[in-house]
Amino acid sequence: MSRKEDILSRIRENIRKSYDMPDISRIKGIQYPDVIKQFEEISKTVGGKVVKAVPGEDINSIIKELYPDAKIFASNLPEITIASKNPDILEAHELNGTDVGIIKGQIGVAENGCIWIPQTMKERAVCFISEYLVIIISGKNIVNNMHEAYSRIKMNGYGYGCFISGPSKTADIAQALVMGAQAARGVTVIITE
Amino acid sequence: MSTQHTKAAKRFLHNADKAKWHDATFWSVRAKRDTMAMSLEEWEELRETASRIKKHTITHMDKYLEMFANNAEKNGTIVHWAKDADEFNDIVLKILRDHNVRKMVKSKSMLTEECEMNPYLEKHGIEVVETDLGERILQLMESKPSHIVMPAIHITQEEVGQLFEEKLDSEKDNYDPTYLTYCARMSLRNEFIESQAGMTGANFGIAETGEVVVCTNEGNADMSVAIPKLHIAAIGLEKVIPDYQSLSIFQRLLARSATGQPTTTYTSHFGKARPGAEMHIILVDNGRSSIIADSEHWETLKCMRCGACMNTCPVYRRSGGYSYTYFIPGPIGINLGMLRDKYKYTDNVSACSLCCSCDNVCPVKVNLSEQIYLWRQNLDSLGKADPMKKTMSRGMKTLFGHPALYNMALKFAPIANHAPRPALYNSLNAWGKGREMPKFAKESFQTMWKKGKIK
Amino acid sequence: MKIGLFIPCYVDAIYPEVGVATYKLLKHLGLDVTYPLNQTCCGQPMANAGFESMAETIATKLDDTFAEFDYVVAPSASCAAFVKINYPHLLKGKHECTTSKKIMDVIEFLHDVLKVKALPGKFPYTVSIHNSCHGVRELGLSSPSERNIPKYSKIKNLLSLVDGITIKEPERPDECCGFGGMFSVEEPEVSVQMGTDKLERHIATGAQYITGPDSSCMMHMQGIAKRLGKKIEFIHAVQILSAGL
Repeated sequence: MSRKEDILSRIRENIRKSYDMPDISRIKGIQYPDVIKQFEEISKTVGGKVVKAVPGEDINSIIKELYPDAKIFASNLPEITIASKNPDILEAHELNGTDVGIIKGQIGVAENGCIWIPQTMKERAVCFISEYLVIIISGKNIVNNMHEAYSRIKMNGYGYGCFISGPSKTADIAQALVMGAQAARGVTVIITE
Repeated sequence: MSTQHTKAAKRFLHNADKAKWHDATFWSVRAKRDTMAMSLEEWEELRETASRIKKHTITHMDKYLEMFANNAEKNGTIVHWAKDADEFNDIVLKILRDHNVRKMVKSKSMLTEECEMNPYLEKHGIEVVETDLGERILQLMESKPSHIVMPAIHITQEEVGQLFEEKLDSEKDNYDPTYLTYCARMSLRNEFIESQAGMTGANFGIAETGEVVVCTNEGNADMSVAIPKLHIAAIGLEKVIPDYQSLSIFQRLLARSATGQPTTTYTSHFGKARPGAEMHIILVDNGRSSIIADSEHWETLKCMRCGACMNTCPVYRRSGGYSYTYFIPGPIGINLGMLRDKYKYTDNVSACSLCCSCDNVCPVKVNLSEQIYLWRQNLDSLGKADPMKKTMSRGMKTLFGHPALYNMALKFAPIANHAPRPALYNSLNAWGKGREMPKFAKESFQTMWKKGKIK
Repeated sequence: MKIGLFIPCYVDAIYPEVGVATYKLLKHLGLDVTYPLNQTCCGQPMANAGFESMAETIATKLDDTFAEFDYVVAPSASCAAFVKINYPHLLKGKHECTTSKKIMDVIEFLHDVLKVKALPGKFPYTVSIHNSCHGVRELGLSSPSERNIPKYSKIKNLLSLVDGITIKEPERPDECCGFGGMFSVEEPEVSVQMGTDKLERHIATGAQYITGPDSSCMMHMQGIAKRLGKKIEFIHAVQILSAGL
């Protein structure tokens, strides 16, 4: 008998009682009168910055303005023309030293500032290794809560996705909150139409 | 009448300032958790649903594990099954050797602590680098976590500063937490890039998709596996849940309960290896399949390791993580320790006043205090009961079992009020260590009633 | 409605005045109340220490003692909770347990069964309420601070019927005081630290009295207060409710 079968059969023998799956759909989850406003507020609470793009405004110039000292931008988004590093081409470690990584978010969550980032580049390291991260998301894709978010998620071919809510943080030294533990030291969310 | 916990707690409380700080720090985490709980109307419904999903999943674990493993394999992940800690460690070592790994970065995992994986791999020549900042500090200090979510909370910034001066070449006498965090960041950056493998634990396994979900604030789990070409995920059998909709319940509860944040910064779904990389999942039993059969304690398998029971525990806050003999402290640790080895970890069973606060914060409603109560009932048959407590209980049984004797005792009890101090307050009197003895009434209620004095 | 009074061992021996106050108040409210003789203890001390089986004979006796009553009322939340929650499984298959269904702490009884809306006495003092763990989390005398449920406090509702009283609650209103029965002597350092912290928070409210539904918690805190020379009085809630009788 394989180890797998061995473990599974022991489990089967040991189960004493059977419990039914509860009806999860009954849980509605918190609702907000204005999801975008709530999303903006909570994003700031979790340490992020929020910018609303005016229709027609060039994202590149918004980013340049936000990070005037940044030299190396990384992105595989076709509309990002300032990027000199492309996570579709480079190896993961070659993305080290990126000042600003620019990625696209698919779903924003108003209750906690989470943004679903499906992997849409060969090296997802760009989402973590960059000193600062810019996430572009459409205001139309902001939902109330995680129940709504998870009901919309379908994993793509890369088989990886991540909710990101603000910059990397730690309070492991003396309970002092520090932004920028191992991943992005700052996050700006650009909300487009 | 004192356990290892009693003695260690006494030492902990000896440093009054640090003890006070410890209590206040963890109470503030509890308070943040309360703010989060009170801000969601559906909070209690979430807890109840989470508990029921876990009960369902655990009692259908064979089905969900198979589904999880099949879907993971469909994703191209290599799935391994380990019956115990030794087997787990061997599997990890074999994978690492097959890939010529000399150094591995890893994120925090209570499972690898449970299996004592790091010392095993190091013994076999593989360098393991912890990447959660707290865990890294402890690793450099050659010390152990004192809490499962905030592992290095008991270390002061001065201690971290001195450690980093020695190990990471940081500036002398610079104890600023931001500065020290950046020093660790820079040092760990190199480790991520130099390592040939990355390991994560798992907060959840999703049966329907075969994904491993890891929640961190630092992003270290993602960093650990975004650069090396090999990802090994270690997951305990009980971590598998049905689907995304179930996950939405747990995700909402986890960080709110653990640290009082609305979410962890990162909730990462690892379904497939990166292009050109390889992903392995190791499912670890190590006693879990037998716990299912334990009618009194199987619900510990619901635990998702948020640490809320520690933060609220008045005994944990006033005795510290190191006062427990099992590596997981607090109410859940008392129970998990007993399930690991009921002869070895009995010393922690005393660390509970049965206040039941833990039961009420637990996001998956583990009946923690009831289980501790039940373990106490077992100590006698394990030969681990405290002899003095047993004698006292026997005495009470006799006294309370015989009303005449009880009444006689009450008649003479007030005499004790006049006993000389040294006879009352000595090393045998644990009550008298910090408290005055209560005074017996001149006449008991019963005596007054019999005399017709109560009208 | 026949009421049987259960006066637990330590109330009997150390705080008989709490028993007297309970009896007087119930009488004043026009109830048929009596005190069956030969009662001792509920068995909780041994059970919490890990010797539940040693409590079996005591539990059987207690159950027999109160067989004829409609309600069993005890001025001690923890003891009432123990009988209510632990007796059914303690006596399972050995003795048919009826007391567990009809036992109530006196606060619960006054609030939920009698629905008392007026009290005769005066108590012109400031009190700090000591919410005992078993009262809160096992009997539901108030909403546990951990839970997101509507806030309530039965003890506060009742105390506020007393003329002249000022009611306070300490910070961390239902954190354990560290008594815990045998815990208090098995883990004396932690127990005393918990009690000292609790005492300080009660004192910080500016109250002259600490009051609650459990004399056991108060016995522990009183012992600490005496040792530390803290000037604060302790009084069981039922003594306040029966003021003037």
